[in-house]
Amino acid sequence: MIRAEGLQKRFGSIIAVENVSFTAPDGAVTGLLGPNGAGKTTSLRMVYGLMKPDAGRIEVDGKDLLAGPLDAQAHLGVLPDVSGLYPRLTPREHIRYFGRLHGLAAVELEARTQHWIDVLDMREFADRRVAGFSHGERTKVALARALVHNPQNILLDEPTNGLDVMSTRTVRDVIRRLRAEGRCVLFSSHVMQEVSALCDQIVVIAKGLVAAHGTPEELIRLTATSTLEDAFVALIGRETSVE
Amino acid sequence: MNFSRVLVVVHKELIDAIRDRRALYSILFGALFGPILIGFMLNRIADQQRGAQEIRIPVVGREYAPVLVKWLEQQSGVEIVPGPADPQAAVRDRVVEFVLVVPKEFPEKFRQSRPAPVQVVSDSSRQAARGKIQRLRNLLSRYSAEIGGLRLVARGVSPVIASALNIEDIEVSSAQQRAAQVFNIIPMFLIISAFAAGMQIATDSTAGERERGSLEPLLVNPIPRLALVLGKWIAAVASAAVGMTLSLAITSAVLLLVKLEDLGVRFNLTAYDALLLLAATLPAALLAPAIQMYLASFAKSFKEAQSYIGILMLLPTIPGIMANFYPLGNRPWMAPIPILGQFSLSTDVLSGKPPSPLILAVGALSAIAVGFLFVSLTTRLFSKEKIIFGR
Repeated sequence: MIRAEGLQKRFGSIIAVENVSFTAPDGAVTGLLGPNGAGKTTSLRMVYGLMKPDAGRIEVDGKDLLAGPLDAQAHLGVLPDVSGLYPRLTPREHIRYFGRLHGLAAVELEARTQHWIDVLDMREFADRRVAGFSHGERTKVALARALVHNPQNILLDEPTNGLDVMSTRTVRDVIRRLRAEGRCVLFSSHVMQEVSALCDQIVVIAKGLVAAHGTPEELIRLTATSTLEDAFVALIGRETSVE
Repeated sequence: MNFSRVLVVVHKELIDAIRDRRALYSILFGALFGPILIGFMLNRIADQQRGAQEIRIPVVGREYAPVLVKWLEQQSGVEIVPGPADPQAAVRDRVVEFVLVVPKEFPEKFRQSRPAPVQVVSDSSRQAARGKIQRLRNLLSRYSAEIGGLRLVARGVSPVIASALNIEDIEVSSAQQRAAQVFNIIPMFLIISAFAAGMQIATDSTAGERERGSLEPLLVNPIPRLALVLGKWIAAVASAAVGMTLSLAITSAVLLLVKLEDLGVRFNLTAYDALLLLAATLPAALLAPAIQMYLASFAKSFKEAQSYIGILMLLPTIPGIMANFYPLGNRPWMAPIPILGQFSLSTDVLSGKPPSPLILAVGALSAIAVGFLFVSLTTRLFSKEKIIFGR
């Protein structure tokens, strides 16, 4: 479970995140929905401990992240906005590398590595160097290495951005699978269909603030609209555009 | 901190580097460039030296002084060939370097025990022939002194009386000097090889990691930044050390192949010397990657990093250049100074004054300390949001 309270982050005079609070429970998919530049990525970066908030508090499984980022990170699986790979390593080596950094021992490491290669349908290219891989293949590698240590909490920053239909399906299947296993999944997106297809609850972020928080039905009811898209537009204000 | 995680990083960086052609090329280039250049220079000096010893003398008027010519012919490395019809024109036109001319009055004067004329036709503006002409003159003087001595003995006088001076040549020949200069650049090339061989991992694991966007996912893993940087450093150090050892091995082979005694250099590189040299210079393999990683961490791309590090490559040449202007010699206080220490200690080894184990240890410990300093500076950079996210 992830809990964020009153997160704030400014870069010089620009306030990227003004006040963001939310709770992402276990066994559910929580979507951070917002237009580009709303503060989704910055919020996620604070939650996975690479950016220090100017104010606020983050709890991972009840433990204070800012007090012990490494302990918290051990329970996080993160697919950042940019997930670069090492062109001379194979997918299997990428997954192993991150597994070893998490302290997995040989037998378990091999089993988990093979598990994710199977689940993400990577057998064909698991032992080829990643230089020249397609975007979909690269995303699968990045996802597998982020999940190799069986994290309880999974953070995905725009995971399906730019993916083809088949890869998008695979990623969605993985997200559903993780929810079914009782994990906490938090992902950001600016794509409406993505969010409505997957999320149990939605945190709408606009201009660094939480505009609304609830299940898709709650958001529709709250804004007295008929579709989630209309609800979203109503929440973030008409001046900001949505794809 | 869990050291096994450090080893995980070392392992990954080394695998990555072994598959990187550029890394292998930079190790090889760094290791080969110096020794090959040194070998070439020493060989050239040796050639010139040998060339002066082995002379071919074109003689005109051989029939007037058959005994002299025969004596010359018996000297080692001397070959007599018939001279050109017009000696002066031939030398001027560079057909031959010099000619020995025996005029026809030679036999008569010689018989009368009066100074018999011989002419050495040469062109003093020709640098390359100087050694050979000098040798010819020395041979002629020796012949003159021998015959003169015999004549005195025939008259019942000791030839010693005719020698007012006993000139001893204590020769610091130019060949020897030049060879010594070549020796002085060996430490520089060894240190450069550390910079060249450490460069690839040092930049790829810092600026390269930023450029690819792989730094952010890497840093999300629950290991201390120091462990990460330490792992990257150790991998780069391993590469630098391999490059340096390779360079030293090839340099040793070159020194064994070139006959140093031909150069008048009384130096035999024993295995022990080579080990001492390694002990003196290897700390540079700790320093170079640490400094390179720190600088490269500021760069957003691999290419940007290489331009910073290219300038850094000049660092090892500074002690050599400075030594020309401020001939301080090697002092013990230099040992702990980065790069200068490795330079002065290895120069000591090469000049046959091996530094004490204590001084070697001081140099190594200082390099470890300075290396750690840069590692911790790099670790700090890796915690800055501008470095992690600034692409």
